[in-house]
Amino acid sequence: MEAREFILQSRLDAEVVEAWVEAGWLLPRQEGATRDFSEVDLVRAQLIQDLGRLGANDEAIPVILDLIDQVHGLRRTLRDLLSAIHAQPEAMRRWIVADLRTTGLNRPNDDSAPAPPSDESREH
Amino acid sequence: MAADPYQTLGVKRDASQADIQKAYRRLAKKLHPDLNPGNKKAEEEFKNVSAAYDLLDDADKRARFDRGEIDASGAERPQQRYYRDFAEGAHSYASDSGFADFAGTDDILSEIFGRGGRSNLRMRGQDAHYRLELDFLDAVNGGKQQLTLPDKSVLDVTIPPGTRDGQVLRLRGKGHPGLGGGPPGDALIEVAVRPHPILTRKGDDIHVELPISLKDAVLGGKVQVPTPSGSVAMTIPKWANTGRVLRLKGKGVPRPDGTRGDELVTLKVMLPEMPDPELEKFVAQWQPARAGASRRATGV
Repeated sequence: MEAREFILQSRLDAEVVEAWVEAGWLLPRQEGATRDFSEVDLVRAQLIQDLGRLGANDEAIPVILDLIDQVHGLRRTLRDLLSAIHAQPEAMRRWIVADLRTTGLNRPNDDSAPAPPSDESREH
Repeated sequence: MAADPYQTLGVKRDASQADIQKAYRRLAKKLHPDLNPGNKKAEEEFKNVSAAYDLLDDADKRARFDRGEIDASGAERPQQRYYRDFAEGAHSYASDSGFADFAGTDDILSEIFGRGGRSNLRMRGQDAHYRLELDFLDAVNGGKQQLTLPDKSVLDVTIPPGTRDGQVLRLRGKGHPGLGGGPPGDALIEVAVRPHPILTRKGDDIHVELPISLKDAVLGGKVQVPTPSGSVAMTIPKWANTGRVLRLKGKGVPRPDGTRGDELVTLKVMLPEMPDPELEKFVAQWQPARAGASRRATGV
Protein backbone atom coordinates (compact mmCIF):
# COMPACT_ATOMS: atom_id res chain seq x y z
CA MET A 1 0.00 0.00 0.00
CA GLU A 2 1.06 3.57 -0.54
CA ALA A 3 2.16 5.88 2.25
CA ARG A 4 -1.19 7.71 2.27
CA GLU A 5 -3.12 4.48 2.73
CA PHE A 6 -0.68 3.36 5.42
CA ILE A 7 -1.08 6.60 7.39
CA LEU A 8 -4.85 6.23 7.20
CA GLN A 9 -4.88 2.61 8.32
CA SER A 10 -2.27 2.97 11.05
CA ARG A 11 -3.87 6.20 12.36
CA LEU A 12 -0.43 7.72 12.64
CA ASP A 13 0.74 11.18 11.64
CA ALA A 14 2.78 11.43 8.48
CA GLU A 15 5.72 12.87 10.46
CA VAL A 16 5.64 9.94 12.88
CA VAL A 17 5.71 7.43 10.03
CA GLU A 18 8.57 9.35 8.45
CA ALA A 19 10.52 9.34 11.71
CA TRP A 20 9.99 5.61 12.22
CA VAL A 21 11.14 4.83 8.70
CA GLU A 22 14.16 7.10 9.20
CA ALA A 23 15.00 5.27 12.42
CA GLY A 24 14.70 1.92 10.66
CA TRP A 25 11.83 0.76 12.87
CA LEU A 26 9.74 0.38 9.74
CA LEU A 27 11.26 -0.98 6.56
CA PRO A 28 8.80 -0.39 3.72
CA ARG A 29 9.89 -1.36 0.26
CA GLN A 30 11.40 1.65 -1.44
CA GLU A 31 10.60 1.96 -5.12
CA GLY A 32 12.27 5.13 -6.36
CA ALA A 33 10.64 7.99 -4.52
CA THR A 34 7.56 6.05 -3.41
CA ARG A 35 7.28 3.67 -0.48
CA ASP A 36 5.34 0.47 -0.58
CA PHE A 37 4.02 -0.57 2.83
CA SER A 38 2.74 -4.05 3.54
CA GLU A 39 0.54 -5.69 6.12
CA VAL A 40 3.54 -6.60 8.26
CA ASP A 41 4.56 -2.92 8.41
CA LEU A 42 1.05 -2.11 9.59
CA VAL A 43 1.01 -4.58 12.47
CA ARG A 44 4.56 -3.60 13.38
CA ALA A 45 3.47 0.04 13.58
CA GLN A 46 0.69 -1.06 15.93
CA LEU A 47 3.25 -2.91 18.03
CA ILE A 48 5.42 0.22 18.24
CA GLN A 49 2.39 2.21 19.37
CA ASP A 50 1.59 -0.42 21.99
CA LEU A 51 5.19 -0.36 23.25
CA GLY A 52 4.92 3.39 23.67
CA ARG A 53 1.76 2.96 25.68
CA LEU A 54 3.57 0.43 27.82
CA GLY A 55 6.08 3.10 28.69
CA ALA A 56 8.94 2.18 26.37
CA ASN A 57 10.78 5.27 25.21
CA ASP A 58 12.52 5.96 21.92
CA GLU A 59 15.72 4.42 23.18
CA ALA A 60 14.07 1.22 24.37
CA ILE A 61 11.78 0.61 21.40
CA PRO A 62 14.48 -0.42 18.87
CA VAL A 63 16.01 -2.72 21.49
CA ILE A 64 12.67 -4.38 22.13
CA LEU A 65 11.87 -4.65 18.42
CA ASP A 66 15.21 -6.31 17.77
CA LEU A 67 14.69 -8.81 20.58
CA ILE A 68 11.15 -9.58 19.38
CA ASP A 69 12.50 -10.20 15.87
CA GLN A 70 15.15 -12.51 17.30
CA VAL A 71 12.52 -14.42 19.26
CA HIS A 72 10.43 -14.83 16.13
CA GLY A 73 13.45 -15.98 14.16
CA LEU A 74 14.19 -18.56 16.86
CA ARG A 75 10.55 -19.62 17.02
CA ARG A 76 10.41 -20.10 13.28
CA THR A 77 13.58 -22.18 13.25
CA LEU A 78 12.42 -24.20 16.23
CA ARG A 79 9.08 -24.79 14.54
CA ASP A 80 10.78 -25.95 11.33
CA LEU A 81 13.10 -28.17 13.33
CA LEU A 82 10.19 -29.71 15.23
CA SER A 83 8.24 -30.41 12.10
CA ALA A 84 11.33 -31.96 10.52
CA ILE A 85 11.73 -34.18 13.58
CA HIS A 86 8.03 -34.94 13.52
CA ALA A 87 8.40 -36.23 9.97
CA GLN A 88 10.97 -38.80 11.10
CA PRO A 89 10.14 -42.42 11.92
CA GLU A 90 9.11 -42.96 15.53
CA ALA A 91 12.34 -44.71 16.49
CA MET A 92 14.32 -41.70 15.30
CA ARG A 93 12.06 -39.30 17.22
CA ARG A 94 12.53 -41.29 20.40
CA TRP A 95 16.25 -41.29 19.85
CA ILE A 96 16.35 -37.52 19.45
CA VAL A 97 14.23 -36.97 22.57
CA ALA A 98 16.44 -39.33 24.58
CA ASP A 99 19.50 -37.48 23.33
CA LEU A 100 18.02 -34.11 24.27
CA ARG A 101 17.30 -35.38 27.79
CA THR A 102 20.88 -36.54 28.22
CA THR A 103 22.20 -33.19 26.94
CA GLY A 104 19.96 -31.42 29.43
CA LEU A 105 21.23 -33.56 32.29
CA ASN A 106 24.85 -32.97 31.41
CA ARG A 107 24.48 -29.21 31.25
CA PRO A 108 26.08 -27.42 34.20
CA ASN A 109 23.49 -26.69 36.83
CA ASP A 110 22.41 -23.04 37.00
CA ASP A 111 20.31 -23.46 40.12
CA SER A 112 22.92 -21.76 42.25
CA ALA A 113 22.56 -18.53 40.28
CA PRO A 114 20.25 -15.99 41.92
CA ALA A 115 16.78 -15.98 40.37
CA PRO A 116 15.73 -12.72 38.75
CA PRO A 117 13.16 -10.81 40.78
CA SER A 118 9.63 -11.71 39.77
CA ASP A 119 7.28 -9.24 38.17
CA GLU A 120 5.27 -8.83 41.35
CA SER A 121 8.18 -8.17 43.64
CA ARG A 122 9.34 -5.33 41.42
CA GLU A 123 5.92 -3.71 41.31
CA HIS A 124 5.68 -3.27 45.07
CA MET B 1 -17.41 -6.24 25.04
CA ALA B 2 -19.64 -5.21 27.87
CA ALA B 3 -17.51 -5.75 30.96
CA ASP B 4 -16.90 -2.85 33.29
CA PRO B 5 -13.59 -1.26 32.23
CA TYR B 6 -12.69 -0.50 35.86
CA GLN B 7 -13.12 -4.16 36.68
CA THR B 8 -11.16 -5.23 33.63
CA LEU B 9 -8.21 -3.13 34.72
CA GLY B 10 -8.73 -4.01 38.37
CA VAL B 11 -8.92 -0.40 39.60
CA LYS B 12 -11.43 1.49 41.74
CA ARG B 13 -13.85 3.91 40.12
CA ASP B 14 -12.04 6.82 41.70
CA ALA B 15 -8.58 5.68 40.64
CA SER B 16 -6.24 8.41 39.41
CA GLN B 17 -5.14 8.53 35.75
CA ALA B 18 -1.67 7.49 36.92
CA ASP B 19 -3.09 4.43 38.67
CA ILE B 20 -5.09 3.50 35.61
CA GLN B 21 -2.00 3.74 33.45
CA LYS B 22 -0.03 1.68 35.94
CA ALA B 23 -2.72 -0.98 36.01
CA TYR B 24 -2.87 -1.09 32.23
CA ARG B 25 0.88 -1.40 31.86
CA ARG B 26 1.09 -4.17 34.42
CA LEU B 27 -1.56 -6.20 32.62
CA ALA B 28 -0.48 -5.38 29.07
CA LYS B 29 3.09 -6.48 29.73
CA LYS B 30 1.83 -9.94 30.58
CA LEU B 31 -0.85 -10.11 27.91
CA HIS B 32 0.47 -8.36 24.82
CA PRO B 33 0.45 -11.03 22.09
CA ASP B 34 3.70 -9.80 20.61
CA LEU B 35 5.49 -9.88 23.93
CA ASN B 36 4.05 -13.34 24.67
CA PRO B 37 4.07 -14.97 21.24
CA GLY B 38 3.56 -18.45 22.64
CA ASN B 39 0.44 -17.59 24.61
CA LYS B 40 -2.58 -17.77 22.33
CA LYS B 41 -5.06 -17.22 25.11
CA ALA B 42 -3.65 -13.84 26.13
CA GLU B 43 -4.94 -12.22 22.97
CA GLU B 44 -8.58 -11.91 24.02
CA GLU B 45 -7.66 -10.63 27.47
CA PHE B 46 -5.28 -8.10 25.98
CA LYS B 47 -8.04 -6.87 23.70
CA ASN B 48 -10.32 -6.27 26.67
CA VAL B 49 -7.62 -4.58 28.71
CA SER B 50 -6.69 -2.33 25.79
CA ALA B 51 -10.30 -1.39 25.14
CA ALA B 52 -10.80 -0.60 28.82
CA TYR B 53 -7.68 1.54 28.84
CA ASP B 54 -8.66 3.31 25.61
CA LEU B 55 -11.82 4.39 27.37
CA LEU B 56 -10.45 5.29 30.78
CA ASP B 57 -7.19 6.87 29.59
CA ASP B 58 -9.15 9.60 27.84
CA ALA B 59 -10.40 11.88 30.66
CA ASP B 60 -13.27 13.13 28.54
CA LYS B 61 -14.46 9.65 27.51
CA ARG B 62 -14.02 8.44 31.07
CA ALA B 63 -16.24 11.24 32.39
CA ARG B 64 -18.92 10.48 29.81
CA PHE B 65 -18.75 6.78 30.69
CA ASP B 66 -19.04 7.60 34.40
CA ARG B 67 -22.14 9.71 33.69
CA GLY B 68 -23.59 6.82 31.72
CA GLU B 69 -23.58 8.69 28.40
CA ILE B 70 -21.55 6.01 26.64
CA ASP B 71 -21.02 2.35 27.36
CA ALA B 72 -17.86 0.31 27.09
CA SER B 73 -18.76 -1.16 23.71
CA GLY B 74 -17.60 1.87 21.74
CA ALA B 75 -14.00 1.39 22.67
CA GLU B 76 -13.20 -1.87 20.96
CA ARG B 77 -10.11 -1.95 18.88
CA PRO B 78 -10.60 -2.76 15.24
CA GLN B 79 -7.26 -4.55 15.12
CA GLN B 80 -7.44 -8.34 15.20
CA ARG B 81 -3.99 -9.10 13.93
CA TYR B 82 -0.67 -8.84 15.65
CA TYR B 83 2.90 -8.63 14.57
CA ARG B 84 3.45 -12.21 15.68
CA ASP B 85 0.96 -13.38 13.05
CA PHE B 86 3.40 -12.25 10.39
CA ALA B 87 6.68 -12.26 12.18
CA GLU B 88 7.64 -15.85 11.49
CA GLY B 89 7.29 -15.42 7.76
CA ALA B 90 9.91 -14.23 5.36
CA HIS B 91 9.97 -10.45 5.46
CA SER B 92 12.35 -7.56 5.86
CA TYR B 93 12.32 -7.74 9.68
CA ALA B 94 13.20 -11.43 9.92
CA SER B 95 16.28 -11.84 12.07
CA ASP B 96 18.53 -14.81 12.63
CA SER B 97 20.95 -12.95 14.86
CA GLY B 98 19.49 -14.82 17.83
CA PHE B 99 21.46 -17.84 16.69
CA ALA B 100 24.04 -16.37 14.33
CA ASP B 101 26.70 -18.05 16.45
CA PHE B 102 25.26 -21.49 15.60
CA ALA B 103 25.91 -20.98 11.92
CA GLY B 104 29.66 -21.21 12.32
CA THR B 105 29.58 -24.72 13.71
CA ASP B 106 31.21 -27.25 11.48
CA ASP B 107 28.15 -29.33 11.03
CA ILE B 108 25.59 -30.15 8.39
CA LEU B 109 22.91 -28.89 10.77
CA SER B 110 24.30 -25.36 10.66
CA GLU B 111 22.40 -24.98 7.38
CA ILE B 112 19.19 -24.72 9.36
CA PHE B 113 20.44 -21.62 11.08
CA GLY B 114 21.59 -19.66 8.10
CA ARG B 115 18.47 -18.72 6.20
CA GLY B 116 16.76 -15.44 5.59
CA GLY B 117 17.71 -12.54 7.74
CA ARG B 118 18.52 -8.91 7.21
CA SER B 119 21.09 -8.08 4.64
CA ASN B 120 23.07 -5.94 7.05
CA LEU B 121 23.92 -8.94 9.17
CA ARG B 122 27.02 -11.02 8.89
CA MET B 123 25.69 -14.10 7.21
CA ARG B 124 27.05 -17.35 5.96
CA GLY B 125 26.62 -17.69 2.20
CA GLN B 126 24.05 -19.97 0.69
CA ASP B 127 24.96 -23.50 -0.25
CA ALA B 128 25.19 -24.14 -3.95
CA HIS B 129 23.70 -27.33 -5.36
CA TYR B 130 25.22 -29.16 -8.29
CA ARG B 131 24.90 -32.51 -9.99
CA LEU B 132 27.76 -34.61 -11.23
CA GLU B 133 27.44 -37.68 -13.44
CA LEU B 134 30.11 -40.30 -12.92
CA ASP B 135 31.05 -43.48 -14.68
CA PHE B 136 30.48 -46.57 -12.58
CA LEU B 137 34.16 -47.31 -12.10
CA ASP B 138 35.05 -43.68 -11.30
CA ALA B 139 32.47 -43.73 -8.52
CA VAL B 140 33.60 -47.09 -7.13
CA ASN B 141 37.33 -46.42 -7.33
CA GLY B 142 37.19 -42.71 -6.52
CA GLY B 143 39.53 -40.10 -7.91
CA LYS B 144 39.55 -36.51 -9.08
CA GLN B 145 36.84 -35.04 -11.26
CA GLN B 146 36.23 -31.59 -12.61
CA LEU B 147 32.84 -29.95 -12.46
CA THR B 148 32.17 -27.04 -14.79
CA LEU B 149 29.86 -24.56 -13.12
CA PRO B 150 27.18 -22.49 -14.88
CA ASP B 151 29.53 -19.48 -14.78
CA LYS B 152 32.17 -21.54 -16.66
CA SER B 153 34.48 -21.79 -13.69
CA VAL B 154 35.77 -25.24 -12.85
CA LEU B 155 35.54 -26.96 -9.51
CA ASP B 156 37.94 -29.78 -8.62
CA VAL B 157 35.99 -32.51 -6.91
CA THR B 158 37.63 -35.38 -5.07
CA ILE B 159 35.47 -38.44 -5.38
CA PRO B 160 35.99 -40.70 -2.37
CA PRO B 161 36.29 -44.42 -3.25
CA GLY B 162 32.97 -46.21 -2.90
CA THR B 163 30.80 -43.20 -3.76
CA ARG B 164 27.19 -44.22 -4.28
CA ASP B 165 24.54 -43.09 -6.67
CA GLY B 166 22.60 -40.23 -5.06
CA GLN B 167 25.32 -39.45 -2.54
CA VAL B 168 25.90 -35.77 -1.84
CA LEU B 169 29.47 -34.54 -1.62
CA ARG B 170 30.11 -31.38 0.36
CA LEU B 171 32.87 -29.01 -0.65
CA ARG B 172 33.29 -26.67 2.25
CA GLY B 173 33.39 -23.00 1.37
CA LYS B 174 32.79 -23.58 -2.35
CA GLY B 175 29.21 -22.28 -2.31
CA HIS B 176 27.88 -18.77 -2.62
CA PRO B 177 29.85 -15.98 -0.92
CA GLY B 178 28.82 -14.82 2.54
CA LEU B 179 27.19 -11.49 3.33
CA GLY B 180 28.82 -8.80 5.41
CA GLY B 181 32.05 -10.73 5.80
CA GLY B 182 30.30 -14.00 6.62
CA PRO B 183 31.86 -17.27 5.51
CA PRO B 184 30.90 -18.68 2.12
CA GLY B 185 28.39 -21.52 1.86
CA ASP B 186 29.26 -25.02 0.76
CA ALA B 187 28.95 -26.65 -2.62
CA LEU B 188 26.68 -29.68 -2.38
CA ILE B 189 27.23 -32.05 -5.26
CA GLU B 190 24.76 -34.81 -5.88
CA VAL B 191 26.40 -37.72 -7.60
CA ALA B 192 24.61 -39.68 -10.29
CA VAL B 193 26.37 -42.92 -11.23
CA ARG B 194 25.98 -44.20 -14.78
CA PRO B 195 25.43 -47.97 -14.94
CA HIS B 196 28.24 -50.30 -16.01
CA PRO B 197 27.57 -52.68 -18.91
CA ILE B 198 28.32 -55.79 -16.87
CA LEU B 199 29.11 -54.87 -13.26
CA THR B 200 26.34 -53.98 -10.84
CA ARG B 201 26.59 -52.87 -7.25
CA LYS B 202 24.62 -54.08 -4.25
CA GLY B 203 25.78 -52.41 -1.05
CA ASP B 204 29.53 -52.89 -0.95
CA ASP B 205 29.48 -55.97 -3.17
CA ILE B 206 29.88 -56.11 -6.91
CA HIS B 207 27.80 -58.57 -8.86
CA VAL B 208 28.71 -59.89 -12.26
CA GLU B 209 27.32 -62.62 -14.48
CA LEU B 210 30.18 -64.54 -16.08
CA PRO B 211 29.64 -66.64 -19.20
CA ILE B 212 31.77 -69.81 -19.16
CA SER B 213 32.28 -72.47 -21.79
CA LEU B 214 30.75 -75.89 -21.53
CA LYS B 215 34.24 -77.32 -21.24
CA ASP B 216 35.18 -75.11 -18.27
CA ALA B 217 31.86 -75.90 -16.68
CA VAL B 218 32.40 -79.63 -16.91
CA LEU B 219 36.13 -79.89 -16.34
CA GLY B 220 36.89 -76.71 -14.42
CA GLY B 221 39.51 -74.16 -15.45
CA LYS B 222 40.98 -70.70 -15.08
CA VAL B 223 39.14 -67.66 -16.44
CA GLN B 224 39.61 -63.90 -16.35
CA VAL B 225 36.95 -61.98 -14.42
CA PRO B 226 36.46 -58.22 -14.67
CA THR B 227 36.47 -56.41 -11.31
CA PRO B 228 36.45 -52.69 -10.50
CA SER B 229 40.21 -52.84 -9.98
CA GLY B 230 40.97 -54.68 -13.22
CA SER B 231 40.52 -58.24 -14.35
CA VAL B 232 41.68 -61.09 -12.14
CA ALA B 233 42.15 -64.80 -12.71
CA MET B 234 39.61 -67.09 -11.11
CA THR B 235 39.53 -70.86 -10.88
CA ILE B 236 36.30 -72.52 -11.84
CA PRO B 237 35.75 -75.82 -10.08
CA LYS B 238 34.65 -78.94 -11.89
CA TRP B 239 30.95 -79.29 -12.50
CA ALA B 240 30.18 -75.64 -12.09
CA ASN B 241 26.62 -75.14 -13.25
CA THR B 242 24.75 -72.03 -14.39
CA GLY B 243 23.65 -70.00 -11.38
CA ARG B 244 26.54 -71.06 -9.18
CA VAL B 245 27.96 -68.06 -7.32
CA LEU B 246 31.66 -67.74 -6.64
CA ARG B 247 32.95 -65.13 -4.24
CA LEU B 248 36.07 -63.08 -4.91
CA LYS B 249 36.98 -61.80 -1.45
CA GLY B 250 37.95 -58.16 -1.25
CA LYS B 251 37.34 -57.42 -4.91
CA GLY B 252 34.23 -55.33 -4.32
CA VAL B 253 33.66 -51.70 -3.39
CA PRO B 254 36.25 -49.93 -1.19
CA ARG B 255 34.92 -48.95 2.22
CA PRO B 256 35.95 -45.86 4.21
CA ASP B 257 37.82 -48.09 6.71
CA GLY B 258 40.12 -49.40 3.99
CA THR B 259 38.49 -52.80 3.60
CA ARG B 260 36.55 -53.76 0.51
CA GLY B 261 33.36 -55.62 -0.25
CA ASP B 262 33.42 -58.79 -2.31
CA GLU B 263 32.70 -59.52 -5.92
CA LEU B 264 30.08 -62.19 -6.47
CA VAL B 265 30.45 -63.99 -9.76
CA THR B 266 27.38 -65.80 -11.05
CA LEU B 267 28.33 -68.43 -13.58
CA LYS B 268 26.40 -68.88 -16.79
CA VAL B 269 27.23 -71.86 -18.96
CA MET B 270 27.21 -70.96 -22.65
CA LEU B 271 27.19 -73.28 -25.63
CA PRO B 272 29.49 -72.27 -28.48
CA GLU B 273 27.88 -69.55 -30.58
CA MET B 274 28.09 -71.44 -33.85
CA PRO B 275 26.75 -75.01 -34.08
CA ASP B 276 29.64 -77.40 -33.55
CA PRO B 277 29.24 -80.74 -35.38
CA GLU B 278 31.89 -82.36 -33.17
CA LEU B 279 29.98 -81.47 -30.03
CA GLU B 280 26.71 -82.63 -31.52
CA LYS B 281 28.27 -85.95 -32.45
CA PHE B 282 29.74 -86.34 -29.00
CA VAL B 283 26.53 -85.52 -27.18
CA ALA B 284 24.57 -87.86 -29.46
CA GLN B 285 26.81 -90.72 -28.33
CA TRP B 286 26.63 -89.72 -24.70
CA GLN B 287 24.18 -91.72 -22.60
CA PRO B 288 23.28 -89.94 -19.33
CA ALA B 289 23.32 -92.33 -16.38
CA ARG B 290 19.85 -91.28 -15.33
CA ALA B 291 17.84 -89.73 -18.11
CA GLY B 292 15.84 -86.69 -17.13
CA ALA B 293 17.64 -86.26 -13.83
CA SER B 294 18.38 -82.60 -14.44
CA ARG B 295 14.79 -81.91 -15.39
CA ARG B 296 13.53 -83.54 -12.21
CA ALA B 297 16.00 -81.57 -10.14
CA THR B 298 14.41 -78.31 -11.25
CA GLY B 299 10.93 -79.69 -10.66
CA VAL B 300 9.78 -79.19 -14.24
